[in-house]
Amino acid sequence: MISTKNITFSYHKDQTFILPDLFCQAGSTLLVTGNSGKGKTTYLHILAGLLQPNSGEIVIDNKDITHLKGSKADTFRGKNIGVVFQKSHFIASLSVLENLEMASWLATGKKHAKRAKDLLQKLDIADQASKLPSQLSVGQQQRVSIARALMNEPKVLLADEPTSSLDDKNADNVIELLESLSKEYKTALIIVTHDNRIKEKFTNQITLV
Amino acid sequence: MIGKLAWKNIWFKPLNTILSILLLTASVAIITILILVEKQFEEKYQSNLDGVDLVLGAQGSPLQLVLSSVYQVDDPTGNISFDSVKVWMKHPYVKKAIPLAFGDNYLGYKIVGTTPDYIEKYQAKVADGSVFEHNFEVVVGAEVAQKLNLKLGDTFKGTHGSAAEGEVHEHGEYLVVGIASKTGKVIDNLILSNIPTVWQMHHEEGHEEVAENPAHGEEGHIHHEEEVVAENPAHGEPGHIHHEEEVVAENPAHGEPGHIHHEHEEEGHVHDAHETDMTIDEPNMEITSVLIEFRNKMGVFMWPNLIAQNTKMQAALPTYQMNRVFEMFGVGLGALKYLAFGIMFISGISIFIALFTTLKERKAEFALLRVNGAKRHQLLVVVLLESMLLCTVGYLFGTILGRVGIVWLSKASESDFKLGFNPMEIIWEKEGLLFGLTLLVGFIAALIPAIKAYTLNISKTLANA
Repeated sequence: MISTKNITFSYHKDQTFILPDLFCQAGSTLLVTGNSGKGKTTYLHILAGLLQPNSGEIVIDNKDITHLKGSKADTFRGKNIGVVFQKSHFIASLSVLENLEMASWLATGKKHAKRAKDLLQKLDIADQASKLPSQLSVGQQQRVSIARALMNEPKVLLADEPTSSLDDKNADNVIELLESLSKEYKTALIIVTHDNRIKEKFTNQITLV
Repeated sequence: MIGKLAWKNIWFKPLNTILSILLLTASVAIITILILVEKQFEEKYQSNLDGVDLVLGAQGSPLQLVLSSVYQVDDPTGNISFDSVKVWMKHPYVKKAIPLAFGDNYLGYKIVGTTPDYIEKYQAKVADGSVFEHNFEVVVGAEVAQKLNLKLGDTFKGTHGSAAEGEVHEHGEYLVVGIASKTGKVIDNLILSNIPTVWQMHHEEGHEEVAENPAHGEEGHIHHEEEVVAENPAHGEPGHIHHEEEVVAENPAHGEPGHIHHEHEEEGHVHDAHETDMTIDEPNMEITSVLIEFRNKMGVFMWPNLIAQNTKMQAALPTYQMNRVFEMFGVGLGALKYLAFGIMFISGISIFIALFTTLKERKAEFALLRVNGAKRHQLLVVVLLESMLLCTVGYLFGTILGRVGIVWLSKASESDFKLGFNPMEIIWEKEGLLFGLTLLVGFIAALIPAIKAYTLNISKTLANA
């Protein structure tokens, strides 16, 4: 569960984003839409704790994360927030499985190899586990990203334009996957997007203006 | 896991890594060789100098005299009169004087005429058998005994000069009566006899020539024995010799002496160790040099001038000569050292460039790690660890390669100078320091990239990626 209240943020003094409050229950999905330059990615980074807002509060699981600093913020983020990016990033020198294990190890200190393999199985990419991420197709990479985001069974799953580089069929698959998995893992799913193909599928939306 | 990540990252870009490791390996190998060789070289040279304050020998290069007499590597400068050097050997300043007479070798191993003091000077013991007492008895150095498989009671013939290919003395065989303990010093590679053995070996050489020129040789032969008699008038033995001489004298006819001569030669063989043996008191004989240890160290300052002004000999100070050698070597070793450190510096730059150029493509990777819960300092550690792991690998290869180099070097110097180096020795202090230095190079090379990773702006990196 995640909720925000009165969040403002500015990169410069003369431009301030006033971001709308949002609320998303565990297992449900919220769509954040808006045109380019309206602060969609900024909002996502604030929600992920990667940017510090000027004011306001972000409550995840009854905890205001705006007060977390330094390594505490890092640990909290690792444990409770999963992020799927528009473009998949991986540790290029590690295999798919090791990438998942690393995500788990950084947050909890344990590799949880079994959970990683189960996730890969669930996402139908178990046979790619020992390959390097660069050897996978874009669609497969996206699924590995989702698997990694879910490794620590986070309270919140943030997805930044998860479908923008995918064709219709793959985009549908990814959205379905995200929705079903967030229900299964009881995760609040927030999708930031300007992709019209998705907008029709979700009723729970806020738009940045 | 951080270590694993660092390790995998090193080998993800193998070409960059191999270049850096090669450079490190080269520099560490050179420095390792220098460290080991310098130390073992100095140690060996120092240990051979113990108990030698000054070397008396024929005029010529003082360095050559020291090298030949103390280290047995160069040819001697010439011979000196034993009679005149004896006076100096008995000088009150002198604590111990060890005469050396070179002449022959056996399969390339020098046979040195000396006194048992020589064995003592090297803190060697006659491990097996006893010290030489009679002429033609030898004590064999540990290395010689092992390499030539010489045992007590073995006999062998010497070769004239210092080269194994020289003329063989058909006359007179050496008898192994003792084998010296191993010392790691030059004595291990020597065959030792008493001084009269060397004289007699070359005196009998004269005999052979005599046989070819009977008329001339007879005279010389008689002369010599007369001298013996003159020197030792109180001796009981000469009577017998006199008798023979008389026979010769009574038969001046040229037909007869052949017969007598023949008899005499046979006798000489049988009585090798008895009346025909030369003794240390033989007059007008020559030796090669004398190793002097002073009781009064003032001798070190006084003798070089004293000897130069009053005799035809020279007095060389081995410590001074060897210091000169080290100074000369030092320039070369110093240059090599600078070269090695230069290569290490370049390898540091190579690591820096490799890390710095890949940093750009790895920024997203680092940001991702942070999103997944990595702390700032963990990224710092990853980058530093990568560089230092690489340096450790380079160091390991370097020490191994350096030791392989020493094995090669040792083979060459062993055959040329009878000077081996031990590749297995580990000089913890200096090699530890070298390892520390290598790590420091890695640390410094990675510092800027590591700090960049530490201060990475995650949001900006991800937004722009």
